[in-house]
Amino acid sequence: MRTGDLAIINQLGLHARAAAQVVRLAGEFDSSILLVREDKSVYADAKSILSVLTLAASKGVVLRMEVEGPDEDHAFDAMTALFADGFGEMPSRR
Amino acid sequence: MRHNPSAKPRITIREFVENAPKKLGPEVVLGAANLDVNYIDSDRIQKLGLGLAGYTHYIHKGRLQIIGQSETSYLRQLDAAGREAAVRHLDLAKICCVLVTKGLTIPREIGSVLRSASIPTLRTQAVSSTAIAEVSNFLQNTLAPSITLHGVLLGMYGIGVLLLGESGIGKSECALDLVTRGYRLISDDSVVVKKIGDVLEGSSPALTRGHLEIRGLGILNIQDLFGVSAVGMSKNIDLCIELRRWEKVKEIDRLGLEMEVEEIFGIHLPKFVLPVSSGRNLSTLVETAVRIHLLKIAGHDAARNLIERHSRAIGGGE
Repeated sequence: MRTGDLAIINQLGLHARAAAQVVRLAGEFDSSILLVREDKSVYADAKSILSVLTLAASKGVVLRMEVEGPDEDHAFDAMTALFADGFGEMPSRR
Repeated sequence: MRHNPSAKPRITIREFVENAPKKLGPEVVLGAANLDVNYIDSDRIQKLGLGLAGYTHYIHKGRLQIIGQSETSYLRQLDAAGREAAVRHLDLAKICCVLVTKGLTIPREIGSVLRSASIPTLRTQAVSSTAIAEVSNFLQNTLAPSITLHGVLLGMYGIGVLLLGESGIGKSECALDLVTRGYRLISDDSVVVKKIGDVLEGSSPALTRGHLEIRGLGILNIQDLFGVSAVGMSKNIDLCIELRRWEKVKEIDRLGLEMEVEEIFGIHLPKFVLPVSSGRNLSTLVETAVRIHLLKIAGHDAARNLIERHSRAIGGGE
């Protein structure tokens, strides 16, 4: 199992369309991907849109991710990259 | 999946005052400065009587302390010095909040000690018995440990049925099928489970209440589509049904004698594991599983009965 922290860095937070991106990406992997918001003890399956929306994660919130399965390394890296990229919503720095 | 509750839930005295049941309507008399500092983390209350009489050993921090008629009349029959001594014996650091019932006036000596220690002191017009019942009930609900689980909760035949299983296995589709048969959806995907006493109460996160997601259809509003009777607010969870991929099911009890259990907050719930494959009508299987469970509760176990008849027929004991 791989675990790590994911910070929400984009202005709008983990809103509906961003959540849809997360779910779409998570669905590409066989591993189970769990997102945990510790302060509210909310556990969400990253492959379920309603579940991810329940996290109600705004900018600044840090989620813990637990990935377990045959392709956990790929899944972990891809998910980390998506969050680090702010769901493609970060203003370019150039 | 095993989920453990995080830190022990607590509420500040201010949250208590603001959210307490209307019947109590507590007013803040003293110690307003510590309303946000002191907290309650136990759903049990204490009466200060024995503490005031000198036996202070059992005063617990984090419990609401109640002063009622018996305490005030005890104090009133003491002289002023005795009253002061009664309060001075108390370990004030262990008292998070005092609730005076029946609209009683606190004896002056007690009041001045509570004031100087800045202990939040509340007053209610309700008599002690009512106040204690209301406070306990409120605290039990508010301080109940709670977690959010991945699953679908349905109300079927009056009991709460929790569908578990990895994502994409068909929980939501199965739930939709059951809703069209007249059962109630409590929550899809995320179920908030609260442990109240020995009971697990399941409900939906407020944000997604009454919604269901089906791949290909998107997010559905079940109340709009199927009417108000198709959704419910909360239900006590009595039974779990796990949908599992056929290849992941190691061994199936073909007789139906053994039941697995799902443990949530230390409470064991009976669990059916249903292998999923094409050609199996899940909602019928779930519906039947619930009926089997209800029959078992009523003391009727078809599998056991058949085996008993079988052993009699072959002339041996089981």
